[in-house]
Amino acid sequence: MIRRPLRPLARILAARAQGGDPGAIEAENLRLRNDARRDELRLRAEGRLFVMALCFLGAFTVIGARMGTLAASEPAEPRLAASGEAIRASRADITDRNGRVLATNLATHSLYAQPEQIVDAARAARELAAIFPELDEEALHRRFTDGRKFLWIRKTLSPEEMQKVHDIGEPGLLFGPREMRLYPNGRLAAHILGGASFGREGVHSAEVIGTAGIEKEYDAYLRDPALSGAPLVTSLDLTVQAVTEQVLGGGMRLLNAKGASAILMDVHTGEILAMASLPDFDPNDRPAPLTRGEAADSPIFNRAVQGVYELGSVFKIFPVAQALELGLAGPSTVIDTSGPMRVGGFSINEFRNKNFGKISLAEILIESSNRGTGRLALQIGAERQKEFLGRFGFLEPTDVEMVEAPTGRPLFPERWQELSTVTISYGHGISTSPLHLAAGYASLVNGGTRVRPTLLRQSGPQRGERLVSEETSKAVRTMLRQVVTEGTASFAEVEGYHVGGKTGTADKPRAAGGGYYEDKVIATFASIFPAHDPEYVLVVALDEPMETSGEEPRRTAGWTAVPVAAEIIRRTAPLLGLRPSVDAPPLPALTPASNG
Amino acid sequence: MSYLEYRVQTVPTGLSKLLHINWALVLLLTAVACMGFLMLYSVAGGAMEPWARPQMERFGLGLAAMFVVAMVPIWFWRNVAFLAYGFAFALLLVVEVAGMAAGGAQRWIDLGFIRLQPSELMKITLVMLLAAYYDWLDVDKVSRPLWVALPVVMILAPTALVIVQPDLGTAILLVVGGAIVMFAAGVHWAYFAAVVASGVGTVSAVMASRGTDWQLLQDYQFRRIDTFLDPTSDPLGAGYHITQSTIAFGSGGWTGRGFMQGTQTRLNFLPEKHTDFIFTTLAEEFGFLGAASLLLLYGGIILFCLASAMTNSDRFASLLTIGIAGAFFLYFAVNMSMVMGLAPVVGVPLPLVSFGGSAMLVLMVAFGLVQSAHVHRPRGRA
Repeated sequence: MIRRPLRPLARILAARAQGGDPGAIEAENLRLRNDARRDELRLRAEGRLFVMALCFLGAFTVIGARMGTLAASEPAEPRLAASGEAIRASRADITDRNGRVLATNLATHSLYAQPEQIVDAARAARELAAIFPELDEEALHRRFTDGRKFLWIRKTLSPEEMQKVHDIGEPGLLFGPREMRLYPNGRLAAHILGGASFGREGVHSAEVIGTAGIEKEYDAYLRDPALSGAPLVTSLDLTVQAVTEQVLGGGMRLLNAKGASAILMDVHTGEILAMASLPDFDPNDRPAPLTRGEAADSPIFNRAVQGVYELGSVFKIFPVAQALELGLAGPSTVIDTSGPMRVGGFSINEFRNKNFGKISLAEILIESSNRGTGRLALQIGAERQKEFLGRFGFLEPTDVEMVEAPTGRPLFPERWQELSTVTISYGHGISTSPLHLAAGYASLVNGGTRVRPTLLRQSGPQRGERLVSEETSKAVRTMLRQVVTEGTASFAEVEGYHVGGKTGTADKPRAAGGGYYEDKVIATFASIFPAHDPEYVLVVALDEPMETSGEEPRRTAGWTAVPVAAEIIRRTAPLLGLRPSVDAPPLPALTPASNG
Repeated sequence: MSYLEYRVQTVPTGLSKLLHINWALVLLLTAVACMGFLMLYSVAGGAMEPWARPQMERFGLGLAAMFVVAMVPIWFWRNVAFLAYGFAFALLLVVEVAGMAAGGAQRWIDLGFIRLQPSELMKITLVMLLAAYYDWLDVDKVSRPLWVALPVVMILAPTALVIVQPDLGTAILLVVGGAIVMFAAGVHWAYFAAVVASGVGTVSAVMASRGTDWQLLQDYQFRRIDTFLDPTSDPLGAGYHITQSTIAFGSGGWTGRGFMQGTQTRLNFLPEKHTDFIFTTLAEEFGFLGAASLLLLYGGIILFCLASAMTNSDRFASLLTIGIAGAFFLYFAVNMSMVMGLAPVVGVPLPLVSFGGSAMLVLMVAFGLVQSAHVHRPRGRA
C-alpha cells in the first residue's frame, strides 16, 4: 500500500513560501487518512454484518419452512415396528388326527409402563405388588423413578388381573394385545408338543416361537401366513394318548419306576398314535433345562425319542428273523443252546444260569435264550448283522418330526467284533431309543417293509424298502404270539386282541462306567396286536421298575412292562376301532414269567 | 473509534436517557414474554400457578434490571468486561467443584430469590469480554495468529467447564456465540473456513470409517450417534420427545386448536412442556400462525439489534450488540430446530418464553447492555 506522505515536501515548501502553517497541511492529511481508514473498516464491518444477516435470514427461512411442513402434516402415532417387517402374532393351531385341538392361541394382554406418565409411582408400585405377588414393590418403584421411559411388567395377564390393574387408574400403566400359546390339555402329549415362548416383542404384538418338540420343528410352517391358519394335523389320537399316559403313569407309580415311556404306532403308516414319556411337564409352563446333573433326569427329557438304552431281549427277534430270511434256520430247526459258550474271552450265560439244551428256533424266542440267539448271530456274522440292523434304522437317529430326534443317536461299538455280534443279538452292546424299537418291530411284522415313524397324519400306508419277505414276517408274527401264549409275556394276553410280543429286561450300565447294576433294570415289552395281522405296535419301557407283591422284588419285564402294556392295549384297542375276535382262544394257564 | 474520541457531552444524561432508549425493542421483548405467559398459563391447565405468575414477576424484575443497566454508560460496561468475565468464570469453577461434591448434579448457585446458573451468565460476559478485546486491539492485528489464539482461549476455557457438566446446549451456544463476535470483528475468513473444514473433515472421516478395518469408533458409539442424529429410529426411547412434538405440530395445523385446547400438552404426552418444549404447545394451540408470529417477533428483535449495531460507530458497543443478538438468535434457532426435529435434542430453552428465572434475568440484563449501547452511542465527532 502506497501511503501518501503526511508532509509532502512540495506543499510544505509552497506553504512556507506563502507564510502559511505547514502543520495545518499535516493535520489535514492526517484527517484524510483517518477518514479513509475508517471508511474502509466500516465497509468491512458492514460486509461482515451483511453476511451474518444473510445467515440469520437463511436460518429463519429453514425454520419457517419446517413449521409449514409440520403444520401441513397429518398427526400420526408412530409405529414401534418402524424398522423391519411387522411382528406377526398369529400361529396355526396343532390338532390331533381327528381335529381336536392340542395347541391353540389365546388372546391376552401384556402389561407395560411408561414411567414418565405415571402420576403416583409409589402407589402404582404398591398396588401392582398387591396384584402380582411375584413383583417386588421396592424394585418396581425404583424402576418407575429411575428415569427410564419404558418398562415391561408382565408378558401375559388374565382378564381378572387386567381388570385389577385397570382399576388402579394409573395412566402410565398400559396394556398391549398379545396372543399367547395355550395347550388346553395341559400335560397331555407335552413332550411331543414341546412348548412356545415369545420371540420379538413389541407393544402392539409379540411373536410366538416354538421352543421345543413339534412346535419348534414346524415353527416356520406354523407361522406361515400363507397357510392362513390351517392347523397342523398330527398323527396323534387325543383319546388314545390320554389313556396311554394315564395307564403308563399308574403303572410307573405302582411299580416304583423312576421313568417310563410308551409308543403306540401304526405298523403300516408309521403314524404315532400315542407317545408318552414320564415324568412329564406342563407345556404351558415349560420348565427350564437342567443346568446341572443328567439331562435325562429332567422332566423335559423325552425318553421315548431322546433316551437311548440297551433294551435287552426284545432285540432277539432280529437275529431270529434274519436267520429265517437267510434260510439258516426254520421255525422248527433245532439249535443247541447248551453251555458253556465262550466268545472273545467272555462266557455267555442264560438268565439265572438256566440251560435249555437243544430247542427249536421258536423256543429260543419263547424261552429267551441268550446262547440261542448268540449262536445264530455267529452264523450270520458281524457284517450281515450290522447291515441288517442298519436297514431297520437302528444305527442312526430316527427322523421323526421333532427337533429332539437327532439327539436320540443310537450307541453301538465302532468295531463290530465277534463278541459284539453275540451280545447285540440279545440286545446288549447296542443302545437305541424305544422309538427305534417300535419302528423296527413295525417294519418286521407289517409284511416286511420299512416304515419310518411320523407324527403327522398320513393318507395311506408307507411303501418302504422291503427288509424281510412276507413269509419271514408271518413266521415272526407267529413266534411273537407264541411268546405271549407260551413264554415270558403271558400277562400280555388280552382277550380278543391276540397280542404278540417280546420282553426284554436289561441291566442298567453303571453310570460311572464298568459293569452293570445288579438291581437296576430297564424293562421293555415290544408288542404287536392283533398278532395274525398286526395293525399296531406298542412299546412300553419302564426305568428301574420293581414289583413287590411277591416274596422278593421282581424286576423282569414279564412282571412289570408286560402288565402295563396289556392294560394299555385292553383300553385302547376298542378306541382304535379294533373288534375283539369272537372265537377267542381259551385263556392259557397263567405261568409266571421266569425270564426277561 | 473509541469513546475517547467523541464528545461525551452529546450523549444524553439523566432522565432524558429514557427518551433515547430503543422503545421498539422493549415492546418486542414484552410481546415475546407475554406469549410466554400465555403458554405457561395454558400448560398449567389454565392457572397462574405454578409457572405463569413467577415468570411474570421475573420478567418484571428483568425489565427493571434492563433499565438500570441501560442507564449506566456503556463505557463503564466496557471497563468492567474483564472483571465480569472473571467473576462468571470463577462462579463456573465453584459450581463445578461444589457440584462434584454434591454428586455432580448441581449447576446453579442459590441466591434465595433465584437460582443463578453461572453458565447463563457466562454467555453474556463472554460476549462482553470479546467485544472489549476487539475494541482494545489494533484493527491491523485482528487476524494475526497470536491475537486470534487469545480469544479462542477465552471461548474454550468456559466451554470446557460447561461441557463436563455436561451441558452440550450451552457449550454450543458459547462457541458459536463467541465465533459470531470474532467474525463481526473482522477476523480473517480463512480461520473460520479452516475450522469448519476440519470439523467437517473429522466428522466425515469418522463416519466414513464405519464398517471398515480402521473404524475409529466402536459400533455402539456409532449407534448412539445414529439415535442422536435420527431420534425417530427409536420412537419410544430417545425419539419420544420429537415424535410427540411433531405430532403436536401436525395436530395444530395452520390455525391451531385454540387457546388451552392442545391435546398433546393437555393429556401429558409431552414432557418438559413448560421448559424446552413449550414451543410445541404454542404450535398446537395457535398453529402455524402462532409459531410464525413468534418467529417474526424474534426476527424483529434481531433486526433492531443489528440496525442499532450498524448505526453505532463505537466498536465495543457495536460488537456487543451483535454478539448479544447472535446469542439470542442461537437460543431460539437451536430450540425451534430441536423441537421440530431439525436438530438433535440438546436442551436449550426458548428465550423469554420457556419457564426459567436464570435465563430470563440474564437475557434481560443483556438487552440492558444493548440499550445502554444504543443510548450512549456517539453522536457527532470531536
